[in-house]
Amino acid sequence: MNLLLLFISAAIVNNFVLTYFLGICPFVGVSKRVSSAVSMGLAVMFVMTITAAVTWLIYHLLLVPYQIEILEYVSFILVIASLVQLVEMFIKKVSKPLYDTLGIFLPLITTNCAILGLALFSVLREYSFIESLVFGIGAGAGFTLALVIMAGIREELELSNIPKPFRGAGITMIVAGSLALAFMGFAGLISM
Amino acid sequence: MNKTAKMIIVLTVITALSGAVLSSWDSITKPKIEYHQLQALKAAISDVLPSYDYYEEKAINEKTVYIGKNDNSTQPIGIAFKFDGSGFQGNISIMVGVDPSFTSITGIKVLGQIETPGLGTKIVVDPSNKTNPFWFPEQFGGVILSPQIDVVKNATPQNPNEVQAISGATITSKAVVRIINENIGMIKELYQSTN
Amino acid sequence: MAKTPIPLRKEFLKGLWNDNPVLRMLLGLCPTLAVTNSAINGLAMGLATTFVLISSSILISLLRKVIPHQVRIAGYIVIIATFVTVADKFLAAYLPEISKALGPYVPLIVVNCLILGRQEAFSSKNGVGRSIIDALGMGLGFIFVLVVLGSIREILGSTTLFNIQVLGDWFNPWMIMILPPGAFLTLGLLIGLGNWLNERKVKI
Repeated sequence: MNLLLLFISAAIVNNFVLTYFLGICPFVGVSKRVSSAVSMGLAVMFVMTITAAVTWLIYHLLLVPYQIEILEYVSFILVIASLVQLVEMFIKKVSKPLYDTLGIFLPLITTNCAILGLALFSVLREYSFIESLVFGIGAGAGFTLALVIMAGIREELELSNIPKPFRGAGITMIVAGSLALAFMGFAGLISM
Repeated sequence: MNKTAKMIIVLTVITALSGAVLSSWDSITKPKIEYHQLQALKAAISDVLPSYDYYEEKAINEKTVYIGKNDNSTQPIGIAFKFDGSGFQGNISIMVGVDPSFTSITGIKVLGQIETPGLGTKIVVDPSNKTNPFWFPEQFGGVILSPQIDVVKNATPQNPNEVQAISGATITSKAVVRIINENIGMIKELYQSTN
Repeated sequence: MAKTPIPLRKEFLKGLWNDNPVLRMLLGLCPTLAVTNSAINGLAMGLATTFVLISSSILISLLRKVIPHQVRIAGYIVIIATFVTVADKFLAAYLPEISKALGPYVPLIVVNCLILGRQEAFSSKNGVGRSIIDALGMGLGFIFVLVVLGSIREILGSTTLFNIQVLGDWFNPWMIMILPPGAFLTLGLLIGLGNWLNERKVKI
């Protein structure tokens, strides 16, 4: 499959958050400020790209040859958890300012379903190594996009008069619904 | 006990136990999962071919074809095979049946897809069409293969080699047709070279 | 364990309404939105999640003094992922139709924050009995929301409920309800309704 097509498909047409509902927890939790949404998005994109590469290698070089695909979920989640730790330690050592921006978001990423979802989808769709990598970057970009748009809307929402029961999560879901509806308009963007 | 040692031991024991539990569970469930996959395959073959008494599996150059036959004759009544190709959002896999002379399609069935829910998924079943939810795959029955299958949009097909696209899912509809068109020649050559 | 003991009945009921995992605590939203395009899918996902939740709670509560504090999260996720694999393969072997409909959302139970959250907040600090009660309450609360959401979406989007026709031909199905936007809109309205009822002190 054309790599550019795959990227656009993962980032926009099949947006992880708005079509597959992956990564909803941080979507609701961290989307209050644009600045923190950008940081969270970048952290997720970074971890997603590495995860895509590492889980592909583990699945195709370890699990398949030894016929232990049954351990897929256990090994993937362990890899993701350790990767997040490593990335956190690495960033802390290399760049203090970067750690200050991304640091607090990293532990949250382990239970971000978008990361595991990415690894599972890559296996399910039988992507090659390069395709997995592009899929990871695209999905991360899509996640960042959705998060930042949402944060922008929520900053405005704070000034509006919302019925009390809907304040917070309720209105966030309804806005996300409208966004998902808008994103459906991108279907057909890619024609062959 | 040393703290680090304890950490490592506990984690190792948990992971080892998990592996043991899962591998025994795998040996229980695997035969059943494979049985379901075989049943699904059989159902797909009987869906795309005219009714037959038995089918034969034949591997030609790493490609498997399923040949439907009747008890009272050695002549095949139809040939089925599986194609994969990219659709709108990812892989689509289709079981296609043709008559033995490769002139027309006897039926198709989409085995796997990840198209847009409610739009592209209509290639499998279209719940919005109350009279016939399976109109899309069923219209392939009898479609002739020469020169190739064509897709028409927003209109009823006029020619015997045309099928109608799903409105809102033109790309998915075209992808299904393209996957069939691209592969059928190859299968035809392979099949006829062995007979 | 220094928690003030509250009656077991309350421990059970809190998950159903006051601390409902989805409507009040906003946990496990991913499967809640993804699989509720029909009531039966919602029910199956709810049952699978509850199975993993209860099994993990029992085991982690039993092991709470054995697992060192520093590596507890790693230990929990291995245990959770093991039970998820068991549930996933069970569905694939015995209920292939449902397994196909839920697809990759069954393995995604591993990262359902509801499960890890209950281990961290409850099972790692409480005895087995109390943990089972807590997990059962939370699980039922989760199933309740998934089935309600699935029913609303299925009735309006496909005019059926548990695959039985409930609305006549006069009703033009709202396609949007079984598409992704319908999931967000319905859940948003349900969360609002939950808050409204709670404010009016309607308690179960």
